[in-house]
Parts: sequence; C-alpha cells; structure tokens
Amino acid sequence: MILPELFLADRPAGAPTTPALIREACIAIKRNRSQWLIHRRTQDLIEWIAYTAERWRQPDHVFRRLALEQGPAETGFGRTTLEAGLDAFFAGLTAEALSAWVTQDLGELRRLDEFCAPMGELRQGRLALARGPELALHIAAGTLPNSTLLSMVASILIRSAQFVKCSTRGSLIPRLFAHSLADLEPKFGGCLEIGVWTGGTEDLEAAAFAEADCVTVHGSDETLASIRRRMPASARMLGYGHRLSFGVVGAEMLSTYSARKVAEKAARDITAWNQLGCLSPHVFYIEDAGVVSAEGFGDLLAEALAAREAVDPRGPLPPEQAAVIAGRRSLHELREARARAAHDEAIATPRGVFFPVPDQGTRVWSSPESTAWTVVYEADPRFHTSCLNRFVTVKSCRNLQDALHHADTIRGKVSTVGLAMTEGRAAEAAPRLAAWGVTRICQIGRMQEPPVSWRHDGRPVLGDLITWTDFET
Amino acid sequence: MLPTSIAAPAPKSSDTRRALADYVSHLTEAIARWSQDSPDEAVQNAEFERLAFDLFALQFEANPVYRAWCRSRKITPATLPSWRAIPGLPAVSFKEADVTCLTANDATTVFQSSGTTGQIPSRHFHDGLSLAAYESSFVPWFERCVLSHASGMTWIPLVPSRAAAPRSSLAYMIDGLLERFAPVDFVRGGRVGVEGEWNLDVPVLLSALESAGRSGRPVLLMGTAFNLVHLIDALDAIGRRFRLPEGSQVMETGGYKGRSLVLTPSELAAGLFRTLGLTPQGIVTEYGMSELSSQAYSRWPDSGGPGVLRFPPWARAIVISPESGSEVAEGETGLLRLLDLANVASVLCLQTEDLAIRRGGDFHLLGRRPEAESRGCSLLSA
Repeated sequence: MILPELFLADRPAGAPTTPALIREACIAIKRNRSQWLIHRRTQDLIEWIAYTAERWRQPDHVFRRLALEQGPAETGFGRTTLEAGLDAFFAGLTAEALSAWVTQDLGELRRLDEFCAPMGELRQGRLALARGPELALHIAAGTLPNSTLLSMVASILIRSAQFVKCSTRGSLIPRLFAHSLADLEPKFGGCLEIGVWTGGTEDLEAAAFAEADCVTVHGSDETLASIRRRMPASARMLGYGHRLSFGVVGAEMLSTYSARKVAEKAARDITAWNQLGCLSPHVFYIEDAGVVSAEGFGDLLAEALAAREAVDPRGPLPPEQAAVIAGRRSLHELREARARAAHDEAIATPRGVFFPVPDQGTRVWSSPESTAWTVVYEADPRFHTSCLNRFVTVKSCRNLQDALHHADTIRGKVSTVGLAMTEGRAAEAAPRLAAWGVTRICQIGRMQEPPVSWRHDGRPVLGDLITWTDFET
Repeated sequence: MLPTSIAAPAPKSSDTRRALADYVSHLTEAIARWSQDSPDEAVQNAEFERLAFDLFALQFEANPVYRAWCRSRKITPATLPSWRAIPGLPAVSFKEADVTCLTANDATTVFQSSGTTGQIPSRHFHDGLSLAAYESSFVPWFERCVLSHASGMTWIPLVPSRAAAPRSSLAYMIDGLLERFAPVDFVRGGRVGVEGEWNLDVPVLLSALESAGRSGRPVLLMGTAFNLVHLIDALDAIGRRFRLPEGSQVMETGGYKGRSLVLTPSELAAGLFRTLGLTPQGIVTEYGMSELSSQAYSRWPDSGGPGVLRFPPWARAIVISPESGSEVAEGETGLLRLLDLANVASVLCLQTEDLAIRRGGDFHLLGRRPEAESRGCSLLSA
C-alpha cells in the first residue's frame, strides 16, 4: 500500500521543507481545528482513539503491517521489538484508561466539554472549563515512538491542532498512527501535520514556533536549552529532558527460584525498545543478603538476555554504535582478564608505577560474535550509565539506601526505579525514592510499560497542556 | 578477593632486555631492507610473520597486562595460528594499567596522550632500546612519504621541542627528524605555554614565512591540525597573506578530536590556501598514536581531505568488525587494529577506538567513535 500524501512527511525524500510551507500548514490545521475538532465532545474523541488503538492490535491492520514491515529498516528496531512495544502501547489505550486519564488530570471527564466541577469545587461555588492550546507543536526525540504517540493522543483529547516534528529516523510510526486516525475520520486528519527536518534548523523551527501557542520538546538538555532560547514569548514550552532508570532487587527475591524469574523480567525491561527509552534500566542493584549474589544475578540475567535474543533479536547497529559497545566491553573485559590472571596465575602482577592492580571484581557476559547484549558485573558500586542497545550493569548494594547513595551522580535525572521486592518492602521503599526525587516506581518487568495516564517526569501531561477558565457562580 | 600476597617471580629483567635487544637488531636490519624499493612480497610476509611471532612471545612473557588479555582471548605463543590472530590490546589499557615489558627502574621515558582536564592520559613507557626502535621506524617512513616529494626545505615545526614537551611522542619524533634531516635549517614556531598548553610563536612564524617568500626556498610546516587552525586564525586576524614557494608542504597530524573548534578537511585546505597559498597536493596527513611507534601517511588528493593512509611494511592495519570481532570485507567500516613490529617495549598489537574503511591493506580514517574519550596530540594545542 502506498500512503496518500496527507502530511508534509509523506512527500518523497528530498522534497524541500521551507518556513513558508510550515506557516501555511500551521494556518491550515488551525482553521480545520476550529471547524471540525473544537466542538467535539471528549467521550467521542476517546472512543475514536480507543477504536484506532484496537485496530492497531489486529494482526492484519494495514498500518500495523506497514509499521512492522518498514519499521526495522526505518527505525532500527527489530520486528519483534517493535511489535512488542507497539502492542504494549496500544493495549493501554482503552476507552476506560483514556477516561481515567482525563479525570485524573482534570478532575472531571467533561471538563473540556462544559463548565463543571467535582464535588469539592462545586461546594465552593466554583466551576471550570479546560481549553487546549489552539496549536500544539511537538518536537519529538529520536526513534522511540511512545512519547510522541502519547503527545498526539493528548493533543486530540484537548482539541488542539497539532504539528509533530520528527527526526528522520523517527517519523514512520507517528506518521502511520496519524494516517490511521485520518483513516477513520479524515477531517481530523486535517487538524494534524507531521514534518521531518534535522533538529535545530532554526528558520523552520522559528516558523513553527511563531504559529504555536504550546510547544512540547523531548530531547537532550542541550536541545531543550537551545529551543528555550529561541522560543517567542507568545508560546509556552513544556520540556522533557533525557532521563534514565534503574532497578533494585530485594534480598527476599534472590532465592534461586525467584532470582531467575526476576532476571527474566529484567531482561524484558532491557530489551524493550532496545533499552533506548528514558524508562529503560541502565543498572540493576542487587541486595547482598540474598541467596543469589549480584554476580550470580549477572549470570541469570545473561541467560535471560540470550533467551530473549533468540526470540526478539536486537537487530543490526551502525558500526559507530557497535563500536561504542565493543569499546565499553573491552574495558571491562580487560579488568576481568587482569583480575582473573592475578588469581589464576597466583601472581601478584608487579605493582604498577602509577596504577595498582584492580582488586575489585569485574565480570562480563556477552553475546558471542555480536554486540547484541552485554551484562557487566562490577564490584565498584557507583552507578554506571549504559551505552544502551542492551548493555546493562549489575552491582551489589546493602539495601535501597545504599543503592541511592551510589546513584547520587544521577540524582534528579532519574525517571523510573523498578523494584523486585515484597509488597511491604516496596511500600517502605516508595517514600524514600520519592524523597530522593524519583518520579515513577514500578515493578521490574513493567518499566517500559507505563499506563497512558502516567505522569511523565512527574508532570500531569494533560494538566500541563491546558488552560483553565474558572467560573465562580 | 584476589590473592596478592603470593610473591611473584621477579621478572628476569636482564633476560628480557637481552631478548628485546636481539629482536631490535633483527628488526632494524629488516627495516633497512624493507625501506628499499620493491622487496619480494612472499619473503617479506614470511619475515614479517616471524618477527611478529618473536615479538609476541617476548611481550607475552614480559608484559603481564598483555599476557592477561591474551589468555582471556585464549591465545598464547604456543597456540598462535598466524600474525592476524595476535590479540589487539584495547587502547584504553594504557590508561588503566602500565602496559609495558619494562620494570619501573628500566623505563627512562614516558609518552602521554594529550587529553582535556580531568581525563586520564594514557602512558607509554620506553627505554633506550625501544626509543631506538621508535626512531628506526619513524625516520625511513617519513623520508619516503614526505621528503621524497621535495627537498631543500626550511622546516617549520609548529610543535614544541623535545626538551619543552618531554612527554610528547610527536615532539620526540619531530626533533628526531630535525636532527637527522635538518639540524640547522629549521625555525621553531611552537612552544609550551604557562599552563602546559601548546602555543604558536606568531612573531617568529611571521618572519620565517616572510623570509621564505623572499628567498623562494620551500618550507615544511609540521604540526597538529589544531596548530594549523591556530596559524590560519592568527594570519586571518592580522590580515596577513603569504604565497609559499613552490614545493612547500604541510604535514598535519592528529585530527581535531573532541574539541569544539572543528574544521572539515576542505575548510582546512581552504584556510591553508587562503593564508599560505598552499594547494591540497602540498598537504600530508600523518596518523600516529602515543601508544605506537610507527605512523601512517596520506598525501591529499586534489580535493576532499586525506586519502588512504598507509603504514610502513613493518606495521599493518586490520579493520575489525565491532560486531563480530573479525576482519571486515574490502570497503567496509570497522575499528582499526594496528600491528606494529617497532612497538617493542609495550604491545605490538593495539585495538584502537578509531573507525576506518578497509582499503586493501590500507585504510581510510573516519575518526574516533563519538563516545570514545577525546584524546590525541591535537588537544595539547590551546
């Protein structure tokens, strides 16, 4: 199937994008919004989105098929990885979940339809109406589509015209999602635009900024800062910087039986979206009082990743990214080799002129003849940022507090902490993690599957987009 | 934990040194023969392999870090099938450990990689013997790759002297070349600043360039790419333009690794043409590392930056797939692994973090992988 040319991003490669083109597109989608979108009721929109999501889960759905056929080449994700990621996302996009999201963020499902209020506000004689921005501009990050799809859904719920700016390798899935929405309701497709250009192309971005009244940006701190500088005073910016995540495994989950189960779940968190998301774990801290040690957990995790690779291969990487993994591996392999040599040969390697012999353990498990997955165990407890694409470090800790102490270098940059603990211990851990600055806590195995209503980086996604009108009766 | 209390057998320093001395004399003799034109390839390959096996066995014995690495790769002198199977020690090892066959007492010189503040430099230890091997490698290949295209030049090194920068392998090499080829006829345009950074001596350079213009005698400018960028900037800043005499050359080394001031090769060529009237054919790129003893050179084609880099016959480049660890096919991209018979006191085989395209036995350099720590001579230039 050849997609119709609905969006700028549908044009053949090399078709020029100009500031004038972007301005015209923005004006057109704003006009269409005022005719077709702004008067719709939330319930109708929810049903439309939920139905679209349901269709995406049908194996023969045309847009799903296109995503899985073209996705591996365009996005770099293997077919199974893509399928698992999209299925998890669309499974969460039910009418019930969408209603719960609106109610959670706005207090009442009808807040966008009419002046209304939950009981507490009513008693004080207050009503309120929420309005979305006329035009929301989304600057999407990288290749991982979830946050872009979620921004698109949010903008529909709040009746905004939306312009989604994608990176070259990241446009396929948002584009297909937009087509699937337009396929059901062509008029709504007219309230949506998708463009592709290299991030930081200032004249194109200036044209889009000038037309938008709200801009969401997903990207690095540098990207955020650069856009913030260029943002006109008329627009509001919502920035989502890069975050990272890690897991903690409690001693009680480290029996021989449970540890294997936890490792299998951890492997799923690592392989989901090839570990490229903000919710992907870089490190697993393993409490040292369990039957299985951190090094033993590394063994189990390696086994689990090898098993995942058999059914859900990571897929090829460009040489420069594979080189990063190869380089990281070789450093740890060197440490392992030196420690092992010192042990095996029972030779104290002559004390270096400048460097002592490493006296802390390192172990490396890796996919043979490929960079598909790597597990490193390090006795050094300090947090180790991963080079991603299924490269994970396992470290020992005494307890949660100890793990947080060693992760201090990334404090304030952490999205999710995955826990494998009994309910009681997790409940004890939660307030500590919150006080430390973590914005999401979940079970290991669910790290890459937040519910649609999750508070991204601790912020209410719909709540941050809308503007209220209070009515004191 | 690891048993460190068990006493190690003391390295037999004198035995090692004797064996290395023996090896170096064979190597020097081979280099002398291979520097002559068109040797018999089969004979040369056999001799290369024999020397590589000898040096591998020596280093396996005397270098504990390398031995540990080779054991982890399951390669020992007894099981080595061919020189291509010699394990490449990761370049990062030179930051992690003392990668040396020498004892602390024997090492007389240490070369350090440049690096920005806070980075750990790599350290490459030498003694008189390994420095002699270094010199016996860099002299003939430089002569072949740079001097054979012009002679009677005034040399203008933009790097500081060996005495001012005792830990720079580049300064060591350039001073060695000066002693050999231009003991008198040179003007030094580089010096070390108060914070250890490399600066240009602009007044001296201006007068040297001026007198070259007057005398019509060609010059040989030698420096890191950063030195050259600074020279271009300095000339641009004061609006000075030169037209270097016919036959003048620039040897640039080191690239622009990890610094914000980045020029593409064509920008560098344009700058050299604008300020010095030098055409790309006069530019030679040198690729070397403080962890190695041999260098690759490439004379620039008419446009587009450095071409294919070539090591001398006593050093070989293999391009390795980062995925599989085996050699890539012709024209494919991978990580550069270098085997250098002149690197006697540390390791003969180094796995670098540089990406390159395989071109026969030579390579086209793509540069450092993005995440690799920035390092290289270029960074010493302020």
